[in-house]
Amino acid sequence: MSWEITVSGFGGQGVLFIGRLLMESAFHSDKEVSWLPYYSGEKRGGMCTCFVNISDERIGSIFITHPDIAVAMNPAAMKILEPAVKTGGVLVVNESLIKNKTSRRDIKAVYVPTVEASKEVGDESVGNLVALGAVIANSQVVTTTSIIKVLNQILSKDKHQLELNKAALLKGCEYS
Amino acid sequence: MPERTLMGGNIAIAEGAILAGCGAYFGYPITPQNDLLEHMAKRMPEEDRIFLQTESELAAINMVYGAAAAGFRSMTSTSSPGFSLQQEGISYMAGSEIPAVIANIMRAGPGLGNIGGAQGDYMQCTRGGGHGDYYLITLAPSSVQDMLDYTMLAFELADKYRNPVLVMADGFLGQVVESVVIRDRVKKLPEKKWAITGAAGRPKNIINSFEMNPMDHPARIKLILQKFERMKRNEVRYEGLELEDADIVLVAYGSVARSAMTAMQKARLHKIKVGLLRPITVLPFPYQPLSDLAGRGCKFVVAEMSAGQMVEDVRIAVGNRNEIKLVNSWGGVPLTADEIFEAIDLLA
Amino acid sequence: MRKASMDGFEDMVFGKPEVMEDRPTHFCPGCGHGITQRLIGEVLDELGLQERAVCVASIGCTVTAYAYFKIDGLESAHGRAPAVATAIKRCRPELVPFTLQGDGDLASIGTAEIVHAAARGEKITVIFANNATYGMTGGQLAPTTLIGMYSSSTTGGRTVEQAGYPIRMSEMLATLDGPSYITRVSLHNPANVRKARKAIELAFRAQLAGLGLSFVEVLSMCPINWKIEPVKARQWMAENMIPQFPLGEFKCIPEVEALKKGVKG
Ligand SMILES: Cc1ncc(C[n+]2csc(CCOP(=O)(O)OP(=O)(O)O)c2C)c(N)n1
Ligand code: SF4
Ligand SMILES: [Mg+2]
Repeated sequence: MSWEITVSGFGGQGVLFIGRLLMESAFHSDKEVSWLPYYSGEKRGGMCTCFVNISDERIGSIFITHPDIAVAMNPAAMKILEPAVKTGGVLVVNESLIKNKTSRRDIKAVYVPTVEASKEVGDESVGNLVALGAVIANSQVVTTTSIIKVLNQILSKDKHQLELNKAALLKGCEYS
Repeated sequence: MPERTLMGGNIAIAEGAILAGCGAYFGYPITPQNDLLEHMAKRMPEEDRIFLQTESELAAINMVYGAAAAGFRSMTSTSSPGFSLQQEGISYMAGSEIPAVIANIMRAGPGLGNIGGAQGDYMQCTRGGGHGDYYLITLAPSSVQDMLDYTMLAFELADKYRNPVLVMADGFLGQVVESVVIRDRVKKLPEKKWAITGAAGRPKNIINSFEMNPMDHPARIKLILQKFERMKRNEVRYEGLELEDADIVLVAYGSVARSAMTAMQKARLHKIKVGLLRPITVLPFPYQPLSDLAGRGCKFVVAEMSAGQMVEDVRIAVGNRNEIKLVNSWGGVPLTADEIFEAIDLLA
Repeated sequence: MRKASMDGFEDMVFGKPEVMEDRPTHFCPGCGHGITQRLIGEVLDELGLQERAVCVASIGCTVTAYAYFKIDGLESAHGRAPAVATAIKRCRPELVPFTLQGDGDLASIGTAEIVHAAARGEKITVIFANNATYGMTGGQLAPTTLIGMYSSSTTGGRTVEQAGYPIRMSEMLATLDGPSYITRVSLHNPANVRKARKAIELAFRAQLAGLGLSFVEVLSMCPINWKIEPVKARQWMAENMIPQFPLGEFKCIPEVEALKKGVKG
């Protein structure tokens, strides 16, 4: 089994962190992984993209053009990712910033109001974890338990952030 | 299963160097290799070794020369514009037979260019790069594991031939995080009787690239050239995938080799018999295996993130016997499996 | 020069320093470089540094300085000697590296390296032979060429419009906190040669005491490129170069001051 995942949005939206959590939790279940940050300076403020491969086999390309799972955090990302997702794939859309819907019927689109949902758990800064929750709820790529394990490691020194991130993750899982 | 850990490409170069016994690192900030320098800033003092952030890449390469002349395994890392500045120092090291390792994490040029990954320094890396008659073994990693392993190998080869060795990677490989197996530390470093250690209990050691009597210079260079011949004979390395029955051979290195591998798999699903030849040493280049494949009637697709530089080496190997197609990107833009597949499809 | 060990010279009062090779130098008649190198040799003997000193030669007429000493030595690219010496000292602190650099090398192409080695307070010694010309390449304009002075690339004399002003490296470097000792001496007569020797000895003693970069600027003759006879060249240097490049100490931290007691002569 192998997964190609692309997460894209503005710098500062926590795009790379979503990718990192996916990569690390897959790594701990003995998968081959690759994680690549990619910045394209098309706009001021800059687009930030992250390519994650998860596989049982040796990984080929570290760039992903047709993801199995895509997370669009802003309209520019939506424009690129919506047509790119593989047939049968999952597209998580940050509904807080992206107003249009996909017309594709061969993919599963999940609309998540990341800003509002993350406010609900206490802080609007963890919208990325809400999106990640939606990814997990709509695919078998990794489990919430494995993500929480990684969060426990990374955020061990900041209990407040840890709880906030966990809550956002679980909130995101509701969107399936 | 050996223990694996997650690591960025640049960090793996740093850790590989530390495992290989690198005693001194000198560098100057430049994207996309800053994390390498920053990692060394932390790790080298922890290991009780020398780290210095220098005033320029010029100073860095000359410090590498000084430290290596003092008998230390030493290195610098930089990216294309900095690598251009270092050519002078590298030429001096080749001329005075000083081993060292230089990692060039390539970005897009010419000029200031772009911080995206690129492979546009191929000619500079594989044709000497600086002034005078010299070559450097140039290793081209294509995974984070390679970054670590080839850096260790680079130190070994540098000492073996008393010549600088390059690790040539693109910026994307520098940034990618993958799992790596950490290797054993090199315990015993080679003895360097020629090094600058103080003329105590032995005649003085002199390190130079110059003969007082100009008539002696050709003989000195001849020895160096013979050494390069040995390098070219003994150190060709490459990885071949599915070459046995291939009609079309992909030639790619660095991050592009990874895209090529995916393109190859896709082509195989489409019943196109494609193989991949990935040069590990781009200097010495695997001319012979490519020539043999050409003799078998294979066609070639060369994939690279440059205007088309390695394709010239493939042309040397293949001659006019068979078709060679170039698929490339430039300006800091990755080359994807889709683009490579399209090129294969056109040729099939 | 006579061989120190030559038989039949029991009454010899002037020989080569022990640390110097018994071979003729390649310098032109009246050149200052041979004197400076001899002074370094005397100091290395005096301080017993033959087994620890490292000659970091530069590019200029001192390019093969390592050939004249019985100590480890190496060449460095044009201007980069301070970087090379920095690395040697950091890797092997027990060694005593010194650079020998001309004004083209140190004050033009190598300004970044000397400034930063000085700013970091590298524990190395720099001997800077300022002869106001690019000796080795045939006497072109140097960063230290005097206003109005002939050079092969300013044949009508250096003008400010064309080439700006000469650089006073000692004064500039003395503004930095890293160096422990910065002085300018001259070779124009025997008394000043003796002062130069003392300065060089003090510079090495500063390094041995673990103090920051020690720097001796030596005003040095290049009769061939100045197109002045060797004997007159000394006089010319005293009259023309010293006004532009005044002699004296520009920096001497108290720790170096304290070392002066040990310097003979
Ligand atoms: C990169 C480089 N540029 C130029 C030269 C040519 N070159 C050799 S010596 C020299 C100038 C030397 O002048 P200086 O440092 O004052 O030494 P001097 O010969 O006067 O003692 C130059 C320009 C060189 N060897 N390398
Ligand atoms: S050219 Fe000038 S500096 Fe060079 S050796 Fe002759 S006199 Fe000395
Ligand atoms: Mg000069």
